[in-house]
This record gives sequence, structure tokens and C-alpha cells, in this order.
Amino acid sequence: MSTSITQGIAAAFLAAITGIAAIDSAAAADPVSVRLKWVAQAQFAGVYVAKAKGFYEAAGLDMTINPGGPNVNVETLVASGADTFGIASGTEGVLYAREKKLPLVAIGMSQQITPFAYVAYTESGINSVKDFKGKRVATWMVGPQYTLYSVLAAEGLKQDEVNIVSQPFSMQPFIDKQFDVATVTLYNELNTLKEQGITNIKVFMPDDSGVTTQQDAIVTSETMIKDKPAEVQAFLDATLKGWKYAFEHKSEAVDIVMAAGSGLERKHQELMLDEIERVMTAKAGTTEGLGYMDMKSIETVQADLIKFGAMKTPVDLKSAFDSAFWAKVPDADKKM
Amino acid sequence: MNARALARSPVASVVYVAAAWLVLVPLFKVQPRYLPPLPVVLADGLSVWPDLVAGFWRTLVETVLGFLAGVVLGVGFGIAFSASRIMERAFLPIFVALQTVPVIAFGAIVVIWFGNTIMAKVVIALYLAFFPIAVNTLRGLELADPQRIALMKSFGASHLQLFLKLALPTALPNILIGMKLAVALSLAGAIVGEWFGDTVGLGVMLLQALYFEQIPRVWVLIIACGAMGTLLYGALVLLERRFVWWRTD
Repeated sequence: MSTSITQGIAAAFLAAITGIAAIDSAAAADPVSVRLKWVAQAQFAGVYVAKAKGFYEAAGLDMTINPGGPNVNVETLVASGADTFGIASGTEGVLYAREKKLPLVAIGMSQQITPFAYVAYTESGINSVKDFKGKRVATWMVGPQYTLYSVLAAEGLKQDEVNIVSQPFSMQPFIDKQFDVATVTLYNELNTLKEQGITNIKVFMPDDSGVTTQQDAIVTSETMIKDKPAEVQAFLDATLKGWKYAFEHKSEAVDIVMAAGSGLERKHQELMLDEIERVMTAKAGTTEGLGYMDMKSIETVQADLIKFGAMKTPVDLKSAFDSAFWAKVPDADKKM
Repeated sequence: MNARALARSPVASVVYVAAAWLVLVPLFKVQPRYLPPLPVVLADGLSVWPDLVAGFWRTLVETVLGFLAGVVLGVGFGIAFSASRIMERAFLPIFVALQTVPVIAFGAIVVIWFGNTIMAKVVIALYLAFFPIAVNTLRGLELADPQRIALMKSFGASHLQLFLKLALPTALPNILIGMKLAVALSLAGAIVGEWFGDTVGLGVMLLQALYFEQIPRVWVLIIACGAMGTLLYGALVLLERRFVWWRTD
């Protein structure tokens, strides 16, 4: 017990000292960090695999993985230089950050299709998005609502024809049938529903309505791109290599993720990795390679955000989404 | 301890709640989403036992370090405020203003300053802990009886003697009140701090349980946090009984 106390206190002091040391040595070596948008889970398997298998180290990067949380804004932390790289929100998040003049640049996009979907009970009589008309449709009002607006527009529905309500971060109201339609992510809430034995549902994918918004942007700062392009390239190479390895060795990847997190359920993580693989290798994820940035869908998302008033002025997409690094990633690292 | 005393002890109340949980949930067929049966919760806790212990320990370290730093700073500022009106006028309003800033807003800055280190959590725990201690220290020090001060002064007591022999002993019961308030806030601070990114801790596990909607796990963590809070509060009560048994009035 007492040795543990000493260890705890020692750890605290060490943390304080290394914190100070990090400030001192920032100019000298390359301790770099990647900030995730959430806590350790299979959604970030590629990053954890790249670290555990030594891909970052081999690329000359002394990498620290910083998990995120509900109060962590990856865009701000990366743009400010507090973190070198990040797995940030997605197309919308990068566009908003650029509109706010944050010097943030996306160098890759993890998820190739929209990871959000809409669910309705089979007996509800809702057989297509067009049937959302007059129904209570719940979505998260922290960004994904614009995807819903785009989907409705694509299906020829007006927003006021649908009763759009705010969805909490729990599927309980949908389970209690307070909503007719709810939003899920393919890699978490949909699995949660299935695990709770709710299988009498229909899933509507935005991509089927022609709405694609790529998520989990791989980002860095303008400063990094200007001053240390080699490191940016090394990071993207190693990260995509990590993803490829994770999909080719899923069981090992789950082991690595389980070791990195705490209190994770293996079955959850396996299901999550399966779904993450699906959204990352869909469409151009296979034809072009992992991490491909679909400029056409990005352009459409921006146009939609402006149409819905979420953005005031368009940003220069060429400087916000820099494909140059991705193009230089060897095919062996990104092609499945 | 006889049976009646045992029946009224704090341990007994835990047993009563556990028994009620055990019996009433199946009896009224409470949906597991509202309150899972106690055995389910315990089994879930057992299934993640090593992570739970590691998380408990980490959160405890963060809480205790933040709390201790809060005691040092809080008592320090309390003494400084009572010694100098200028200090009080200059700093107390700032502290009050700081206390009204939601910890979430402050936490984002702490992450930029300290990154994902244990320091970040300690600082957030400290931020929540020090204010009640500072205010209660100040209040306690102001309670020293002017007649006694006059008496001690007439015997030639120095400022230090006045402080150590009269003001501080008078203030200690109040300081302990501040500490008891602060220890619960430190725990909340440590848990919120973990929500700014970490891999170990009760706060991290709570976040994951909420994300995956593992209701039994949420209850496991509620119990774990409650146990830690009670443990720390109990330690302070023991400290109080052992060393600060007197009352000011």
C-alpha cells in the first residue's frame, strides 16, 4: 500500500517534471502527439496499432496518443499546437474550424461513407426516408443534424414536413418508442441496439440518398505542414499502415485496443472494428486507398452547410483539405 | 458494540440499502434500464475487477493530491486574507468570480496547459477544493474572541503566539468543515478532469459505460465513486475526532 502511495506521488511529480521538460525540449527532438476525438476504442485501432507495432517509431516519430472526451475539442488543440496531429470530427468540423480561421488542415479522411444512419422499427410503416414525413425524427443537434437536413433535401422533403427533435446521447427514448426515427452511428449505437436484442429495425443510410460526409478527419496544423512536412508525411504513412495492419489482423488489433483502454468489452470492440472497417474500406477506401479525401463530397457538404445557414462564408477547400501528403503515401501502406 | 448500536451504525445503513435493492427490484419487476438487480451490478463489477481497482486507485491519487494542494492553498489564502484586508479585497472577489466559471470551461484550458498528465486532473481537483477551505479558514480565524486576544496581548504575546495558540485552534473546526466540503468537490474535479482525455480512472470508465449504454456498469461506478467519497469523508471525520475535538463556542 505505502509503496503504491509513493509510486502515485512519484508519478505525479514525474508528470509535473516531464511537463516542464517537454516545454524545454520542444525545439530539440520530435516528441509528437495525436489527439483522438474520444477515449481509447476500436474506432482508433489504426493509431494504437501503429504505436504498438512500432510504425511510428520506425518513421522517426516519438508518438504519444492522447485520448479525447466529451469536452475535448481536437480542432482547437491541434490548431493551437498543443497536439501535433489529431483524429478530429469530420468534414463539417474541419470546415467550421477553417471558417473560424483556425490554422487546421485535413490530410486524410478515415471514414469513407457517412457513419450515421437512421433507424425505425419495422412495424412503424416507415419504408424509406420519404416516409419520415410527419414523423418524430430524432438526431443529435451537435452537428449531425445537417446530415439529416441534407438527406431530407435529397429525398425532396422540406424540414418543416418532418418533426425533428433533439436526441440525447442514449437510445433509451427510441427503445421506449418516444421517437419514430432515431440517429445512430454504425459503429456504436446500432451495435448497442442489437446487443439489447432490438433487431426489428430498418436502417436508412445517408449514402443511399446520395449524401456522403466523410468523418474522422486526420488533421494537423498549417505550421507543421510548413515547417515539418516530412513528419506529417511520416505520420500519415504510419497511421494508414497501422489501419491496414489492424484490418488484416483484427484479433491482434482488438488486443492492442483492449490493452490501451480500461474496462472495455471485447465483444463491443470486435463489433466496432468490423463496422469501422466497413466505413473505412467502403467506396474509395478500397479503390483509391485508406484515408482518401473525397473532394466532391466535401464540396457538397460545404454547399449544404451554407444553404442551411450553418456556415456563413465558404472556405478555400484546397487549403483546408490537403491531399498532397495522402497522394505520396505508398500504395503498400494504404491499399487493402 | 451491542445489537442496537450495530443496527444504527453507518455500516448497517449500507446493508439496509443493499437489502432493499436486492428484494424490491425483483419484487416490483423494475426494468433493468432503470435499476438493474444488485447481483447483476456486482457481477459486472467483478468482471472488470482489475480495471476497476486500477481506476479507483488512479482517481483516488488524483483526488487526494488535488485535495492536499487545495488544503495548503486554501488555508494559506485564508490566513493571508485574515492577516491583510488588502489581500482579501484584492483576491477574494477574483476567487469568487473564478468559482462561478464552470469547471468545463476552465478544464479546456487546463488540458492545453498540462496535457493529459495526472497534473491536469490534480489541478482541476485543486481548483474546486481550495475555495471552500479558504473561505472557512478566513471565517474561522475571524472567530477568535477579542477579549482573549486582549488578554494574551496584555501578557506580551507576539503575533505568532496569538496565531498559533488562539486564532488557529479557534479556526480549526471551521477549517475542517471547509475540508469536508472540499474533499467531495476534489473527487468531482478528478472525475471531470478525466473526461478531458485519459485511459485510466473511474471517470474514464464512467464515460465508456455511458457511451456503450452499459447501465449495470454505470451503477458499479456510482457505487465505486460513492465508496471513495465516503472513505475520504470518513478519514476526515476520524481526523477531526482525534485531533480537533473541541468546539469553538
